[in-house]
Amino acid sequence: MNKKKWLGVAMTAALAIGSLAGCSSDKEATSSKGGKDKITYWAPFSGADGPRMKNIVANYNKSQDKYEVDLQIVPQTDYYKTVDLAFSGQKSAPDLMIMHTDQLTNYAEKNLLKDMTDTIEKNGVKAEDYSDTAWQAGSIGGKQYSIPLDIHPLVLYYNKDMFKAAGLDPEKAPTNREEFVAAAKKLTDESKKQYGFVVPTLWPNQFIYPTVFFQNGGELMKDGKPNYNSPEGVEALTFLSELVTKEKVSPANVQQDGEVTLFLQGKNAMQLNGPWMMEQWDKAGINYGVAPVPQLGTKQQAVYANGHNFVIPASVKDSKKLEGISDFLKYAADNTMEWAKSGQAPASKAIYEQNDEFKKMVQQPQVAKQFEYAKFAPRVANWGQLSEPLWAEVNLALLGKKDPQKALDDANKKAEQLVQK
Amino acid sequence: MNTTWKSKLTSSLFVLPYLILFTVFLLIPIVYGAWMSLHNWDLLNPVHEFVGLKNYAKIFDPKSYVHNLFFEGLKNTLKFVVFSVPLLVVVGLGLALLINSLPGRLKGLFRTVYFIPYSVSVSVVAIIWLWLLDTNSGLINNYLTGLNLPAIPWLTDMPWAWVSIVIATLWWTIGFNMVIFINALNDVSEELYEAGSLDGANRWQRLIYITLPSIKPTMLFVLITSTIASFNIYGQPYLMTRGGPGTETKVLLMNIVDEAFKQRQLGNAAAMSLLMALLMIIISVAQLRISNRKE
Repeated sequence: MNKKKWLGVAMTAALAIGSLAGCSSDKEATSSKGGKDKITYWAPFSGADGPRMKNIVANYNKSQDKYEVDLQIVPQTDYYKTVDLAFSGQKSAPDLMIMHTDQLTNYAEKNLLKDMTDTIEKNGVKAEDYSDTAWQAGSIGGKQYSIPLDIHPLVLYYNKDMFKAAGLDPEKAPTNREEFVAAAKKLTDESKKQYGFVVPTLWPNQFIYPTVFFQNGGELMKDGKPNYNSPEGVEALTFLSELVTKEKVSPANVQQDGEVTLFLQGKNAMQLNGPWMMEQWDKAGINYGVAPVPQLGTKQQAVYANGHNFVIPASVKDSKKLEGISDFLKYAADNTMEWAKSGQAPASKAIYEQNDEFKKMVQQPQVAKQFEYAKFAPRVANWGQLSEPLWAEVNLALLGKKDPQKALDDANKKAEQLVQK
Repeated sequence: MNTTWKSKLTSSLFVLPYLILFTVFLLIPIVYGAWMSLHNWDLLNPVHEFVGLKNYAKIFDPKSYVHNLFFEGLKNTLKFVVFSVPLLVVVGLGLALLINSLPGRLKGLFRTVYFIPYSVSVSVVAIIWLWLLDTNSGLINNYLTGLNLPAIPWLTDMPWAWVSIVIATLWWTIGFNMVIFINALNDVSEELYEAGSLDGANRWQRLIYITLPSIKPTMLFVLITSTIASFNIYGQPYLMTRGGPGTETKVLLMNIVDEAFKQRQLGNAAAMSLLMALLMIIISVAQLRISNRKE
């Protein structure tokens, strides 16, 4: 090889090493900037809610100079995979993270989450400052594992223009089963392929079916055993499937997101979905209304919900870090108005009970109205697995391929097998 | 000898980049997976108890839920393989013949047009077909009802759910098989066709007696790669039917992914995927053997 070539190789190598060194020194600079303690914080907010949380964190970092919160957003689809890898020690775990309510039991039972009781007391974070429903979700076996950010229950969306055209008051959404069915019938015009309430057969039945189930006074799990085929469960599924077969307010064979497509086309007047849909309706320019889910069940008002919560991995022990975390959580509780702008209703009373700006919003106060009677997934570690057969059988029943009783019997049998495994 | 030693080293160096990537992204994960499959490996449990072949035994134990996951999933995957592979080969060849008989400039155009879908991701494919096939608001059913035909429940009834998944798969991946067939067709010697015409062979006879035997190795390649690709079916049912109606289109990979990342049972999932890989190898070898015997 001649000299020139060697020189080239040497220069390239030097450049590569130089740029690597540049990277690492940059990182060090940020972590020790002004002697701040750094708190890594993971969240699955890869949608419209991401920028909101980024703002909250940025404002917090500006508001004080002791701590630096570093928000890292992991896409929703990969979130729990990443979290699991962190907990299993293959990736460095964060100091603070967001966890959905239906996941809490699983991680708490495996002792992976920190009991926050002490941290909370020291820093004046109080249970009374949050919705009781949301707070209780984090107390498992007498310990407090989480601090709530929001609750997202099912809500009723309806098309105001279609209500007007059908001679219904667009400011008055149905509140119970009778009103709901009557309105749906009025809104249905099969000659125009227009329907009152298109019954989804897949997602979001994970929210809709339990809602009616709970409203019938039923429990999905009883004494640690699946209770899907209880009379309350059968009644709920029969009601939903008869909306298609008997009341005829929905077409048959609705596919994944079929009800959303029809809602966007103005051919589905009402739909039950989560508050995260707001952005999509706004973008499509639909004249829609939001209301609490009507009492479609026979016994009581209830609604199925999930929620976002702050949790700390059990491995975080540094007392300075813990102080910083509670300081941030206190700040977040008072400043989650920003969070509300994504369509969610924060679980902090300072917002949903006292903030006037919040009360003037369209969707968010309707979501908060349901906090009191919202119910979460059953508290079993493997609810995801146990519920899998239920969704498959609910799908078959709503497609008219199986009688509701038979479908739920089959689902229960399969889930019982999984409990015994 | 010095020169052979040197040339061996140089040629090895050329293979090295691939070898490194192969080791890091394929060999190590496969060996690691095999190692996992011998353990009770819960992702959240730091203790991984060695259980020998117990995870494999569970797959064959009818009382275990893993048994149901594996065999119900496998049944659905096999259905898809049986429905899709013949079409992937025949339609791929058909398109190639069609394009080859076009005049020069159009050839390039249509080759590109048919190949474009291959370059988009499965989520795009799923969304396009979800819109087209929607039972109550889709374009295709709109045409059908316009012609006074009954609307078809494309994604919510059997056998339509399979029909839809196969159509979407064909549309998505057929370009690849087509391009391979076009290349093979171009390699068939013109003289053979000329000789055939002189002997009075018509188009059909030329296809059966000249084209097909000449492209046999390519045919076999396409058959085996299509089978392997169809075994790996995941995205289309996951996004289009969610495994429904019920679990009729829930394929094996969906069950394996659930077991690995929803239930966090990596040991079971690794055993299931290795068994699936073994099955694919057996089937590919069988395909090779059978077609070679005929010769």
